[in-house]
Amino acid sequence: MEQYVTLTMDGARARVPRGTSVLDAAMEYGICIPHLCHIPYLSDMGACRLCIVEHIENGRAKVTTSCTLRVQEGMVIRTNTEKIRKLRRNIAELLVAEAPNSRAVQDIAVRCGVKEVRYPFRNNDCVLCGRCVRVCTEMWGARAIGFVGRGKERHVDFPFGVRPDFCKQCSSCVDLCPMTITPCDGPMKPGEERLCGKCESQLQVTEQIPDTCVWCDLGMGFNCARQA
Amino acid sequence: MSRLAAAEDLEGLRASLAAERERVGTTIVVCGGPGCQAAGCRAVIEALEEELDKEGLAESVAVRVTGCHGFCEQGPVMVIEPGNVFYCRVKPEDVGEIISSTIRDGEVIERLLYTDPASGERVRTESEIPFYRLQERTLLALNRQIDSSSMTDYIAVGGYSALAKVLRDCDPEAVIREITASGLRGRGGGGFPTGRKWASCRAAPGDERYVICNADEGDPGAYMDRSILEGNPHLVLEGMLIGAWAIGAAQGYIYVRNEYPLAVEHARRAVEQAREVGLLGDNVLGSGLCFDVEVARGGGAFVCGESTALMASLEGKVGEPRPKDVHTVEEGLWNKPTALNNVETWANVPLIMQNGAAWFAGKGTKGSKGTKIFALTGRVKNTGLVEVAMGTSLREIVFDIGGGGSDGAAIKAVQTGGPSGGCLPVEKFDLPVDFDTLSEAGSMVGSGGMVVMDERTCMVDVARYFLAFLQDESCGKCVPCRVGIDRMLEIVTDITEGRGRVEQLDLLEELGETVRETSLCALGKTAPNPVLSTLRYFREEYMAHIVEGRCPAGVCKALVEYVIDEERCTGCGACLRACPREAIRGESKQPHTIDAERCVRCGICLSECKYEAIVVK
Amino acid sequence: MSDQSMAAILEGRTSQPQQLIEALHDVQQLSGYIPQEAMTTLSQELGVPLIEVYRVASFYKAFSLTPRGRHVMTVCMGTACHVRGAARVAEQASAQLGVEPGGTTSDGQFTLECVNCLGACALGPVVVLDGVYHDQVTPRKLGRMIESVRRAESEDRLHV
Repeated sequence: MEQYVTLTMDGARARVPRGTSVLDAAMEYGICIPHLCHIPYLSDMGACRLCIVEHIENGRAKVTTSCTLRVQEGMVIRTNTEKIRKLRRNIAELLVAEAPNSRAVQDIAVRCGVKEVRYPFRNNDCVLCGRCVRVCTEMWGARAIGFVGRGKERHVDFPFGVRPDFCKQCSSCVDLCPMTITPCDGPMKPGEERLCGKCESQLQVTEQIPDTCVWCDLGMGFNCARQA
Repeated sequence: MSRLAAAEDLEGLRASLAAERERVGTTIVVCGGPGCQAAGCRAVIEALEEELDKEGLAESVAVRVTGCHGFCEQGPVMVIEPGNVFYCRVKPEDVGEIISSTIRDGEVIERLLYTDPASGERVRTESEIPFYRLQERTLLALNRQIDSSSMTDYIAVGGYSALAKVLRDCDPEAVIREITASGLRGRGGGGFPTGRKWASCRAAPGDERYVICNADEGDPGAYMDRSILEGNPHLVLEGMLIGAWAIGAAQGYIYVRNEYPLAVEHARRAVEQAREVGLLGDNVLGSGLCFDVEVARGGGAFVCGESTALMASLEGKVGEPRPKDVHTVEEGLWNKPTALNNVETWANVPLIMQNGAAWFAGKGTKGSKGTKIFALTGRVKNTGLVEVAMGTSLREIVFDIGGGGSDGAAIKAVQTGGPSGGCLPVEKFDLPVDFDTLSEAGSMVGSGGMVVMDERTCMVDVARYFLAFLQDESCGKCVPCRVGIDRMLEIVTDITEGRGRVEQLDLLEELGETVRETSLCALGKTAPNPVLSTLRYFREEYMAHIVEGRCPAGVCKALVEYVIDEERCTGCGACLRACPREAIRGESKQPHTIDAERCVRCGICLSECKYEAIVVK
Repeated sequence: MSDQSMAAILEGRTSQPQQLIEALHDVQQLSGYIPQEAMTTLSQELGVPLIEVYRVASFYKAFSLTPRGRHVMTVCMGTACHVRGAARVAEQASAQLGVEPGGTTSDGQFTLECVNCLGACALGPVVVLDGVYHDQVTPRKLGRMIESVRRAESEDRLHV
């Protein structure tokens, strides 16, 4: 079997190893796709939906997450259309309204072009990206934490809510949590949450050349795959 | 019963069973479906058996408890063969008279007959009732002929002959060609062509394959799958056997909704019975087909109706969907090629193989063939299960078969397709019901629920209801579905409680679009449909809530007030005694009043008042 | 829950992780809820990580992690029941029993559940009390149902 496949991303031809995800392929070629739940060395679950792209198949554009989509020979992908940018912006808006006290989420919102938040802020903090759960399960095989409950009740917890002996408190989960980095000005007071937008000044470049990675400093404490 | 080693054994058995059926003179057929159960058919059946015993007729008169007949509104229903006298709303007290008059003397009891509301005349048989006459019942008609717990009944009326024919005459490719030619599309909601699904599954690389019957019918307001699996489980098994032959599967699963204990019981019993005679197991009817079926109970999660979530659940895991970039026909259950169809789809398979693809394709429209069962419920006169050819108009279903609005109120809309579908206004009732037309109109056929709504139904409240349902049933894995639906619910709740703003409607539409485009699975992708379709057709109701602070249907509690019409109130005190909050005051024989502060708008007084003196403003 | 009954549930299922849901159903049926010890045993015997057992038990509505009342009242909230006034019935049940849906009264008499469709849509609103279907329930009718259970229980107590 061929080891490499060729696909087209935003009009450019790219050659990447078979089995790569479209997200990894794009990052490799300097096409920056915002993402939150993806970590290069862990499996992808497609939870945050920020990394959506358009996959053109039989003349029809299908919106799908690039982290879970494997490259195929002759595949055509668009990562930065008007439609995708709007959808991403809306998802980022939902996220930042859930967790305004995460600098990572704030930065992503700005990066995705969120200018205002049309929903009342909530301080749910956890956005259920599952980074902690996957590192505990896949990296260490500890399975000390997991998703519990369904829908609105879904949360990350220990078995029966009690830390088990086999949790070695390695703190990998904390290291990967997007909530551990608070906005530059510190946590926002309840009722005074807002879209921070401090990093917006750095976005000039991306707006001019939207589909190239600008090696932005956004998400400083929460590196995108390029920097990881 | 001995093992059926070859097709001839089956035919021999059928001949002897049919002869036996001939010999029994009178059969009292009682519907044991969910509707009639709720209406108390168990007591009727017990009374029947007791009375027959007492009268010494237990030998000569057979009682057949069957699956759903469809006319649930009139339950418990009963048919007496031969003659097919149809009795409805039968009570245990009526049993004595039925035996003494109808069974012994052949006299029809007038008061138990159905009255045609149009002519006001009493009719004797099912075939004279418009509800039945206007339908095309190929699947549902079988329910009445067989005792739902008996395999021999199924065989006696021709069961498993399609399987025997397939195993004798058709190679697997021929079966797939036949199913493809019939134009059968999945009855579970997606409407995917069944033949194409089977062909891809057969072609997918791998040495093990599975077939699954999705009986996790979660759409609220839909119970046709339940009725088939409860009433005629062997039909489904036969369909799966034919599918297994076509695809090359050795193992099948029936995933049954746990809320349907009777369906679980009947499916399990059917599997046992089929194993016992060798219709499941090794070398079925001497053909070399090896196939077995396991019945698994669902855990009570709507999302498990989604194929990847269902498969995860069958593997003993949490029912969370996975991205479908690789289809389940290639990597399904345990990552093996898997063909999943719902109950009604499987049930159609034996009929197609028996009668030919042309027979099936002869019914329906260009893109949607055959008949489809709909659960007609809500504010309609004749609630129940309705089977019609695809392409029948909504008007025919709701008005001609359904008999129009219950207690004379004007019908406003029909909600089709459950939480994934939408609401269609009465102006759209001339649309033919098929997969493509309903999708274009912003709704969908879905699994076949049809909930009729009239002027007392608030469309904003309906949208809120579905959002609350979906928020409750979302697995919570992906952001647009978990957070997006929650935010939509927040906005719609604001509107129903009088805090809505006009600009929120645009946000609602934009958010709905986002949820539809970006959610991981079909639950999220279709979740905005109820909101978007009501916004499209009933925007003025949203505006009435927002701008005028008024709920036109008088449903949204925060926007209505209960008052007593002094002219009509006789001071009987019925409402006063019933009110749980002591919000009603008044002297006996004097007009009463409602204290708006205390009133929680529970509606008890409304249902208690005989003089229609309680007015909802 | 006795060791014996647990052993019966586990029979033929050892080291078969795919049997988890079926086993949990059996535990639920036997005990009326899923005790922690049962989850721990299932985890060990079926070879499923404990967090996964807990996750599955908390995900599916069929499983209750707390003991249920002596009587279970299930109000159907399906669409057909909804347009015929199921919400009012559910509110009445909540008010009369003094518990939220999903809750159990402090005396352990009633558990109130609201489910999303019982599939008896033609005769809504439908309420199931201890396995018996009641059709076309109104808030008033429901009130009487609760009263009659309470009366029956207090009479039983008098006779004991």
